[in-house]
Parts: sequence; structure tokens; C-alpha cells
Amino acid sequence: MGGESNYEIHQNAYIKLILHALKHKTSSVNGVLLGRISGNGDNVEIVESVPLFHSQIGLLPPLEISLIMIEEYYADKGLSIVGYFHANERSDDFEVGNVAKNIGDHIYKYFPQAALLLMDNKKLEALLKEGKDRSPVMQLYTKESSRSWKLAGADASGSLKIKEPSANIVLLDYVSSGKWKDIVDFDDHLDDISKDWLNPELFK
Amino acid sequence: MVLKHGLSILNDSKKRSALGPEEWTLYEQVAVAAMDCQSIDVAKDCIKVLQRKFPGSKRVGRLEAMLLEARGLWSEAENAYSSLLEENPFDQVVHKRRVAMAKAQGNTSAAIDWLNKYLDLFMADHEAWRELAEIYISLQMYKQSAFCYEELILSQPTVPLYHLSYADVLYTLGGLENLQTAKKYYASTIDLTGGKSTRALFGICLCTSAIGQLTKGRNKEDKESPELQSLSAMALEKDYKQRAPSRLSVLSSALRSLKI
Repeated sequence: MGGESNYEIHQNAYIKLILHALKHKTSSVNGVLLGRISGNGDNVEIVESVPLFHSQIGLLPPLEISLIMIEEYYADKGLSIVGYFHANERSDDFEVGNVAKNIGDHIYKYFPQAALLLMDNKKLEALLKEGKDRSPVMQLYTKESSRSWKLAGADASGSLKIKEPSANIVLLDYVSSGKWKDIVDFDDHLDDISKDWLNPELFK
Repeated sequence: MVLKHGLSILNDSKKRSALGPEEWTLYEQVAVAAMDCQSIDVAKDCIKVLQRKFPGSKRVGRLEAMLLEARGLWSEAENAYSSLLEENPFDQVVHKRRVAMAKAQGNTSAAIDWLNKYLDLFMADHEAWRELAEIYISLQMYKQSAFCYEELILSQPTVPLYHLSYADVLYTLGGLENLQTAKKYYASTIDLTGGKSTRALFGICLCTSAIGQLTKGRNKEDKESPELQSLSAMALEKDYKQRAPSRLSVLSSALRSLKI
């Protein structure tokens, strides 16, 4: 395969994932990325995200139900599942664990350009302290050209960008105003279905 | 809170002596609170006072070990906990600290070992069984996790959460037999919750669909209780109509895709 894909994530999708991880700081959390292929077929645009779980994320039934519903909902909007987001339980853990790999593999089967985004806690901490960084506080892993998930961008091939350059500033705003408390994930929804996993009120 | 107010009392000699023997309990509480807040120096001071008052006390020894842990001196802390347990093998707090410490270091296999040792002594500790079950899930050791939930269901047969988690683990394991058992436990979860468990209702639909795929083309007799599936689907639709009307259409198409 020639050049690897470039990935661009929209601000709202990006912010939702991080607020979700901040809400459940002491557990592993995950989320799913919705998007489409754009450009000449080597750009993946991540338009939306849905926060999934914050407890026992190694169990299949809740995951299957959520993915079916999410797919059904976004199909009408021309978006499909293009990747997976994961934040580890411990903030000093920088590895892609087996659960994350397995879910990533599942998505990869249907979408070979799938992105696996891992929360970069070091970068997030620095951002929260200094507020200067404009690059995403996540690491991008892909599986396009190798058999296993590989950290992208190290040799300038394939990279993750945020569409709006001011996303981190907006993110900091949301963090300081305590917006992360309002995030609803699929766990919350399954415990009380009146809580909406689309988080329609979040960015109002 | 404990740290702030406790400390203000301890720093005021009048208030402190008014406590009488309670004074020492407060020192202990403040020390623990200080370690939780990473105020290592405050904790150190409190523990020093207690050491002077109760030399050789095991309760103070526990605090000393916790201080080592709070300072990130893992191996020293572990040694201290282990020697405390040698003197008193039934100290639950120390057992649990040892588990928590292994977890904090990301040493899950050690956490499992310590938990199993603890459960050998305290078989009736439900929370510990549950913790072990969840660690196994995080490591994708589903068979071991299922065993923990079996223990929990045996000792507390009417807790719906254990039935649900057991079913979830069995579904994740997969295979016809596990799926059939999972379905039964989703059904008992629905029973125990009076039909209120969204997760179990979805579970029934997932199981029926997965079993149907595995037994495609086989005898009809394998198809058990198709009405359970349609009842669950109906209950979900009714619930969504009432409490999440804007997601009803997504639910309906999801349920349709699960039907075979």
C-alpha cells in the first residue's frame, strides 16, 4: 500500500471523548468514532463520536447493542464507524491493551482504515496546566500497513489533526466550567434510557 | 474535610485535650486523610505522635506501611504489609491495601494473587469476589470471572446484578451452551427486577439472535421460547416510547436487525 491515510477529527467529536475520560478519571473508558472517507480516498474525516462505557468494558453484550444502535442512527446521516477511542484506567499506562485491540480489530474488519485513538494523559496534563498545545491530546494507532496496531505519525506517515485549530482552547473552557459532568455515555443510557447518548444539550 | 478540620483541632492544644482518648483516633484519621490527599508531611507528623504514644503498636505499624505506600515506596510497603500479615493473618485492611497497591502499580497478576489469598480466608466477602470478577473481565479471563459470579449467585441468589453480570460474561464467552445459560440468567434478572432491567431485556434479544444463528437449519426443537424474545422487544419498545421517545426509531431498527 502506498501512502497512509490522514485523519482529521472535528472539534465536537474530539471534545466529547476527552470530557468523557475526565468524568471517569479512575476507570478505563471508551468511545466510538463516526465519519467518512474524503479527498482522494486517503483522508478519513472523523465527524462525530459517541462515548460508550466506563465500567467493565471487556463485556460484549453492551458493546454489541450500542454499536448496532449507533450504526443505525448514523447510517441515515451518511456516517459510519471509522474508529475507536480508549483511555486507560491508570494515567501512567501508555499501552494499547488487549480489550482495546480486540474492539479495534472488530472495527478494522469492516473499515480497514480504522483509527484507534489512545488518550495521551501526559499531554492532557500539560495542556490542563499550561494551555498552550494545539495538537490533539491523543495518540493515533492504525493497522493499515502492518499486522498489528502501530503508532502513527512517528515517521510522518499518517497523522491526526483537529479540524478547528482552537479546539484545545474550547476544550479548556469546557473543563473549567465543569461541562464534563454532563456527559452521558452508553453505560448511563442502559442504566436509565431517558439519558441520551447523543448528548444533544452538551454544545448548546 | 477530615484533613482540614481535624488538623485545626489537633493544632489547638485546648481543643485537643478536650477530646480525651478520642485524640488518638483523630490523629489516626487525619493521618489517613492526609495520605489520601498526598499531604505526606502532615501524615508523617501524625504518625510520629502516635508512635511515641503507642510504641510497637500494630495499628500504628499499619499506618507506617501505608505511609511507605503513599510515598510510592512500593517494595518497602509490600514488605511491611507482608510482615504485618505474618503477625496477624486476619487483618482485612492490610490484605486489601496489598491488593489496592498491586492494582495501582498496574500489577494485575499480583492483585489477583493477593485477592485469592484473601478470599481463602474471607470467603463471605462479596465485594472482594466482585472485585476479582471484574479484574478477570479486564484481563479477558472470562471463565475465571464466571466462576466468581457463580460463587456470588450461590451465596446471594437474589441480587439481580450478579445474575446480569454472569449472563454478560457467559455471552461474551460464546458457544451454544453458554448462550443458552446466559439467556436463562437474563430471564432471572428480569424476574428479580420486575422487568426493569434494560440490559437484561437487550440480553435476551442478543442471545436469541446468536443462538438462532448457531442453530440455523437444525431441528426446530432447538428453538426455545421465541416468545421470550418478542416479549423483551415489546417491553423495550414500550419503555423507550415512554422515557426516550426520540430514540424509539433507532431502537426499533436495532431490534429488527437482531431478528432472524
